[in-house]
This record gives sequence, C-alpha cells and structure tokens, in this order.
Amino acid sequence: MQWKRKDLLGLYDLSAEEITFILDTAAEFKKVSQRRVKKVPALRGMTVVNFFVEPSTRTRVSFELAEQRLSADIVNMQAQASSLLKGETLLDTVKNIEALQVDLVVMRHSATGAQNFIADRLKCGVINAGDGAHEHPTQGLLDLFTIREKMGGFKGLNVSIIGDILHSRVARSNIWGLLKLGANVTVAGPSTLVPREFEEIGVRVCHNLKEAVANADVINLLRIQHERQNNGFFPGIGEYASHFGVKSSTLEWMKPECMIMHPGPINRDVELAGEVADGENSVILEQVTNGLAVRMAVLFLVAGCRK
Amino acid sequence: MNSCQQLFDAEEMMAAVRNLAGQIVGRFSGKNRKIALVGIHQVGVKLAELLNIELKKQGYDADFGMLDITMYRDDIGTRSMLPRIHETEIPFDVNEKEIVLVDDVLSTGRTIRAALDALTDYGRPGVIRLAVLVDRGEPEFPIRADFVAFKVDLPAERKVLVNFEASPELPAGIFDVYWHK
Repeated sequence: MQWKRKDLLGLYDLSAEEITFILDTAAEFKKVSQRRVKKVPALRGMTVVNFFVEPSTRTRVSFELAEQRLSADIVNMQAQASSLLKGETLLDTVKNIEALQVDLVVMRHSATGAQNFIADRLKCGVINAGDGAHEHPTQGLLDLFTIREKMGGFKGLNVSIIGDILHSRVARSNIWGLLKLGANVTVAGPSTLVPREFEEIGVRVCHNLKEAVANADVINLLRIQHERQNNGFFPGIGEYASHFGVKSSTLEWMKPECMIMHPGPINRDVELAGEVADGENSVILEQVTNGLAVRMAVLFLVAGCRK
Repeated sequence: MNSCQQLFDAEEMMAAVRNLAGQIVGRFSGKNRKIALVGIHQVGVKLAELLNIELKKQGYDADFGMLDITMYRDDIGTRSMLPRIHETEIPFDVNEKEIVLVDDVLSTGRTIRAALDALTDYGRPGVIRLAVLVDRGEPEFPIRADFVAFKVDLPAERKVLVNFEASPELPAGIFDVYWHK
C-alpha cells in the first residue's frame, strides 16, 4: 500500500494495514537515531508548527526532536502566549499560521475533535498530539510499536489497560489500534472510571486488578491524572494505589514474562511501584525511544503526501 | 503498462551480471582491499546479491549492505504519495572503505545523488564507485557509472525495467516499458 492521508487524527480512522505501514516505516526511522549522524534531510525546507493549546512537555519535546531529526524548521506556540487569549478563534489562529506557508501543524487541544475541525479547513497537514479524552494517536502507535517489537505481533495477545479509562485518550488510541490488529483487550480500574459501556466496543471490562493481570501478556498502566480528578469519579490516591497500584506482590499473579508499559510521567507508588517501574518487565524507557521513531515516521508520511 | 518490449532476455541479463562482477573483481585484484557492495532498493539490492554470489565463486568475501534512499529524496512533498521505505542495513564500518554502490539502472542520477548523501551519513568512505546493469546515458546530474554492463539509448519517457524474478505476467529479463499517462 501507499500512504494517502495528509493528516493523522486518530487510530479509529486507520485500517490495520495503514497502522502496520506506519509501524514498518517507524522501524527504519528508529535506526536513524542509532547512527552517529542522527538526522536525515527528508523534511528539509519544510516548516512545522507545534501548537500546544493544552500544555505538554514530553510529547512536545519528542515531536520537536523528531522534527529536528527530519531537518524541518520548527516554530513552537503555546496557548498562554497565543492570541487565543485575546479572543481570536481557534480557526483564525490556525488560518494565520497557515498563511505563513507552514507545511504541518502538530496540535494538542483540550477539546475533543479540535484537530478534525481544523484539518478539514486547512490545506497543510495536521497531526493530533492529543485531543481531550478522545485520541492520542502517536502515543497509541508508539505503544503498538513497542508491543510488536517485543512480542512479535498482536494476534491473540492479551493486553490489559489499567487506570482511568474514562478520561484517557491514550487508552482510546490503544484500544482502537489493538482491536484492529487482533489483540484481546481488557480495561480495568474502579467502576466509576471504567464503565461497563466499554464492553460495547469489544473489550473486556474488569474491576479487579488480579483478574486484569492474570492472563495478560502486556499491561499498560495509565497515569492517574490528578488535574482531571475533581469530579467525584476518583476514590482517592491511597485507595486507588491499594486496589489498582501494581507492586512487586502483583507480579506473583502475572505471567513471568508479562511486559509492563506506562506512557509517563509515572506517579511512583500510585499506579506503579518504583521497583516495578525500574524492574526487568518494564519497557517504559524503550517506549520513549520508540516514540521518537514513530513521530518521525508520522511526520514523514503526512508531509510526504500533501499535493 | 501499455507497451513492453524485451531488450535482453534472462540469459543475456545473467551473463551481464557475471560481466559486471568481472569488472569489479578486475578493479580490486592485486589490491589488498576488501570489496564492499551496497545495493540500492529495490532492484539494486537484488543485483548486489547476485553480484555477491559471483564474487564468492571467485573467492571474494565481500562486505554487503543495502540502502533505502526514500528519506533522502529531493521530491518529498511534491509527489502525491511516498513509496514504502525498505530496510537499510549497513553492517560494516564505511570509514576509509572502497564501496561499490549497486543499482539496476542509471537514469537521471537523482537516486545516486540521494544514495551518496545517505551513505556518507554512515561515515566517511574512502572511495565510492557505481555499478549498474543498464546505463541510459544523459543523466540530469553530473554522475557517471564506473562499471556498466549495457548502454541503452531510449527517449526519457520510456522506462527500463530490470526483472530478475520471472512471473506469469513478465518473464525475467530487461524491458523497455512505455507508460501511457
């Protein structure tokens, strides 16, 4: 196949073949970062705007480095410093950005679908770096990349995603990608954060940690987002940690080779105990390395089909 | 594909591969240097593999690599889509090496320009030579091949297709192909 999309908005929209195509492309970009010259001229002469209406550090840094390694020119914009605060609409802001002959916009926004809205109205490519609780496609892709690299494939693989599924865009992008590629997905956490309705999209829902990890080949632990927990869904840090925090003792319930993932930043000893995060089942830092490769691949593919 | 004419059959093509291997060996014989072959995806890699087999028959144990030049193209963002990226693998130290870059056809020279950029990102090779099965002459860049099996003179709009693997649609051989837009 050949890549034909000018935007990357979410994994829900992609076919299994398209996802695999991105992962294959990322595998070659991963090698670029292992060379002494960690840069290719692919996006030379192109300009990428990183527009983070919602704050981000690691995703932005990862995108920025990916853009540098593709030789793109970069402009970083943050909401606090943009005209959105002066009352300009989002569309006017991005139309102004586009008028500066920008080739790609990487955008994070707290509103679901904000990127879809602007992608439909701009000629330049748009990459979703996280929209509300909807999707975070490059995080989903880097998780898929890490799983495929370690496990060899997805067919029949049991993956459990544990945490605040309700508010998580990482969970959604993972779920769509994993289901398309043939994995069995379990989502687990307190019933307020993991409603039964998730069963309707083809995942197993469970409210018990032991049950969630017992048969898993991969567990993906989500960060408890304190900043989003002011609506009465969350039981409290101590209670969450005691029921759903993964500790050394949890490993006794798991397959010995079960892989432990976390999108970061970790709340040590809340969703994941420090010794497990640093233990041999953990691939957390490899996820960070792979994130760079996946973002290079996505930028390259999206930039490559603008005509 | 609207018209397709055979320029060389499979037998002539394989004789040309042996001829090319002979030219490369001639260049290296007597010098105490190891041969390093780097094929350019896709057909260049296949050709480099065949050359490597010939070199082995003649007692040469060559270093072998393969290169995908998609990340180094000069037309990214101007095409409607990008080709799939194939595996790049340079498993030897290129510094100070005499490297023979291998591609099936030298046409515009743009692929070779990209390959030179890609290869020099792995280090500082001592010498880079170019081996091609078909040289069409008149490249768009000042790039010439050092080892050539066939020189073919065809109008620019025609494509030279090297096919090593016979299929029900197309036998092995070298073809002159005309694509109607």
